[in-house]
This record gives sequence, C-alpha cells and structure tokens, in this order.
Amino acid sequence: MIILVLLIATALAFDFTNGFHDTGNAMATSIATGALKPKTAVLLAGILNLVGAFLSVEVAVTVTTQVLKIQDSKTGHLVTGITPSVGLTIIFAGLIGGILWNLLTWLFGIPSSSSHALFGGLIGAGLAALGTAGVNWQGITSKVIIPAVAAPVIACLVAACGTWLVYRITRNVMAKRREEGFRWGQIATASLVALSHGTNDAQKTMGVIALALITTGHLTGDVKKEGLPFWIIFSCALAIGLGTYIGGWRVIRTLGKGLVEIESPQGLAAEASSAAIILSSSAAGMALSTTHVATGSILGSGVGKPGAEVRWAVAGRMVVAWLITLPAAALMGALAFWLSYGVESVTGSDLAGDGLIFVILCALSFYIWWRAQQQKVDSNNVNADWDSSTNSVVPADVREASKAHKKDAAAV
Amino acid sequence: MSYVEAILKVLVVGLLLGAGLPAVFAAGLVAYSNGAGGQHADGTAQAPNPALKWLGVLLFVFVGWVILTAVAWITRATIIHQFGFDPFPFIK
Repeated sequence: MIILVLLIATALAFDFTNGFHDTGNAMATSIATGALKPKTAVLLAGILNLVGAFLSVEVAVTVTTQVLKIQDSKTGHLVTGITPSVGLTIIFAGLIGGILWNLLTWLFGIPSSSSHALFGGLIGAGLAALGTAGVNWQGITSKVIIPAVAAPVIACLVAACGTWLVYRITRNVMAKRREEGFRWGQIATASLVALSHGTNDAQKTMGVIALALITTGHLTGDVKKEGLPFWIIFSCALAIGLGTYIGGWRVIRTLGKGLVEIESPQGLAAEASSAAIILSSSAAGMALSTTHVATGSILGSGVGKPGAEVRWAVAGRMVVAWLITLPAAALMGALAFWLSYGVESVTGSDLAGDGLIFVILCALSFYIWWRAQQQKVDSNNVNADWDSSTNSVVPADVREASKAHKKDAAAV
Repeated sequence: MSYVEAILKVLVVGLLLGAGLPAVFAAGLVAYSNGAGGQHADGTAQAPNPALKWLGVLLFVFVGWVILTAVAWITRATIIHQFGFDPFPFIK
C-alpha cells in the first residue's frame, strides 16, 4: 500500500514535469511575439490544461492497453507470472526513467517528448522485468512509433502551407492592423493547443495510475467502458495545470526564440496546425507527442515564410534528442528496475527496493534543479536575444555572470 | 496499409483545419481591415466600407463556430457520459 501511494505521487510528479516541459508547445510563440505577457501566458495555459484534462479518456485507454502486456486483454486479470509487486516496480521504474529524462532535457532547454520519455521508461522497465514478451510491440508500433515519425513531418507541412497562405492573403493589409489581428488569432489558437495538450498529455499519467490500480486489483480492467475514478482525473488535471503554470522557461525560450524568429502571423499558423493535428489524433487514440507536433509546426512556419531564417543547427539538435529519448528513458527505466529488484532480492522487502529508487529520484531531481538555478532562465529573460554562436538556451549575459561568479569563488 | 490511411487522414484534416482555417481568418482580416478604411503604408487612403467590414466579422464568426464544433465533436463521448446529452443528435 505504501508503494502504491509512493507510485501515485511519482506519477503525479511526472505529470507535473510533463506540464512544465510542455508549456512552450502552446505558449512559446505567443510569448515570443509579445501577444501575451509571459506570466499571463503560463497562467492561461495552466488553466486550459486543467480543463482539457477532463475532456476525453481515449489516450488513457491507449496507455493501459497498448504499451505493456501486464493485463490479459480478454479478462483484464494480470498475466500469469507477474505478481502485483513486480508489476508496481515496473511502473515505478518506468516513471522514474521518464521524469529523469524530462528534467535532463529541460536543463538543456531541449523540447523533447514527455510521452516518449514515459513510454521509453515503461518499455525499458518492462523489458528488464519480463523480457521481450512483456512489451506490446504491435501496439507500440502502431500507436507510438509511427505517429512519432509522421507527426512532426505532417505538422511542418501543414504549418508551412498555412504560413504561406496567410502571408499571401494579407500582403496588402496595413501592417499595424495585421499585427494586431493576428495577435488575437494567436491567443485563440495557442489556447486551443493548451487545451488539447491537457486532453492528450494528462491522459497519459491517468493511464499509468489506472495501470497501477489494475495491477493491485483496486480497479477493474475496462477503463474504456467504465471511465476513470474522479480523483484520478482531478489530481492529474491539477498536477499538469500546476506544472504548466510554473513554466519551463528554458524550453519556451528554445521554441520561441531559438528555432525561428517568429512574427504573429507565423505564430498563428503554427499554433493552428498544432491544434488541428493534436486534436484529430487524440480523437483517434494516438498518443502522439505534442512536443513533436509543436516543434514541427514552428519549423514549418519558418519554412513557409519567404525570407525567414530557420536555425537548422538548433533543429538538428532537437531531432537527435527525439531519436534518443525513447532508448535513453528506456535505459534509465531498466536501470531503476534492476536496482530495485536487486535490493528487493537481497533484503527480501519490496519496500526497500522501491523506496531506494524513490530516494535516488528525489536526489537526482534536486541536483538537476539546483544546476538549473545556477544559470537561471525565467519570465524576465525568456525573450532575450538568441546567441547563434553557441546556440545555448542560457542567455549570454547570464552565462557571463555565472562564470564570473565561479571565478570569484575560486579566488576566495 | 491502415497506417498510411490513418496518416493521410490526419494530414487531410490537418490541412483543412490547420491551414484552411488560418487562411479564412486571414481573409476575414483583409475584409475587416479594408472595410474599416484608413491609410496604407504608401499613403493611399482607403474609404470605409461597412459591408466589407461585416463580411470580415462573418468570417471570424465562421472560424470560431468551426473550432467550437470540432472541440464538441472530439469531446462528444465525455459530454454524453457526464452531462447526458449528445451535442450531435442527428449523427450516429
């Protein structure tokens, strides 16, 4: 029981990191063009994520059934050979892999996919525990891998078309009115993305918590038919809303300033494309990465505007991060599982194993947070000029200041 | 092949709503702005035209309506489950 509570807390923590990692998907362009003040933008996104989380359960169903083969597809019982204790450790280790990868990429300001981090973690832990049979390969291919490859390409294409059309149509409109009009449109579309983010991403954590409750027998197997208990939906909605409000300024900065220098018509086209794609695939139960879609769209808005500059070095770095997210999170998930399982077999207590990886998670998270505080990016400097020579997410003056600080410390 | 089909579907919906709606919005902006009159950057004056302005507003309303309908469509199952009414009673 203690483990279950720890696990739910960890799942909500993942949801929280998911929120602040992805604030940028919805709000980066509005913040970059000045359509919304940074603080207002994250508040709006937080509230809409909260609302969005209540809207649908399709994706949660995907998570409980399509990733791991823990429950029998017909009866909903646990597959033979898995005890609830092992099942919980798998999910626990998977979450830890997901959180650590999310925090690490946030430190470097890379908009990597929170969904892939989560699925990667779960797959890794599942592989470590059950071998290849424990993973639903077909489900992962059709619902995770294929959407992952296709989504950014589609998003890029749609946003490029949208941007081109919008610039073409409004080329004779007075510049001031154009800027103003598109700002309003931008706020509306960004809100829609935040809403769809809630329906898509909060679901993933709900699915994980449901999976844990199914494992321990607190919940029967059929999420689709019976819906989820209200407290799960509510707590997940709250966690992702809060996370979004805290705002992952590093990722916002990379998306809004790093990739393309954005004007409001581009912002509108990018957000419209993201919203359309995320919502339509959420309806199909495809747990695609909102991050990939948003990044693809922003890239597309740079490609579609004649004469716009896209920083391909930054884009390339992101693509690399996308490719390694799944395996890297899987590795962390597997390591966490082995550690917990090892301790469990030595001490004979599953609480000792799961407790240990929980403590490690807390320690590492704190360390990463502390590192981020050293070179802080927040609502004040999120729109500072991008330094193309280093392509670092940390603004040049903050880097200098922190270097000087270190020198002082060394001199003393 | 069903993967290709699903991807094509998302692409078509994406193009229609993701690129089409911004284009309609842009057209609305053109109509509204020209209808409101004022001065262009090159100094030529534009006479106000209320009909054009209303056309712009109409296009904005159309965009808003499409968005609300789409959201209601996606959340249909939840709306039926929680509130007990179907926002699209005539479509099976």
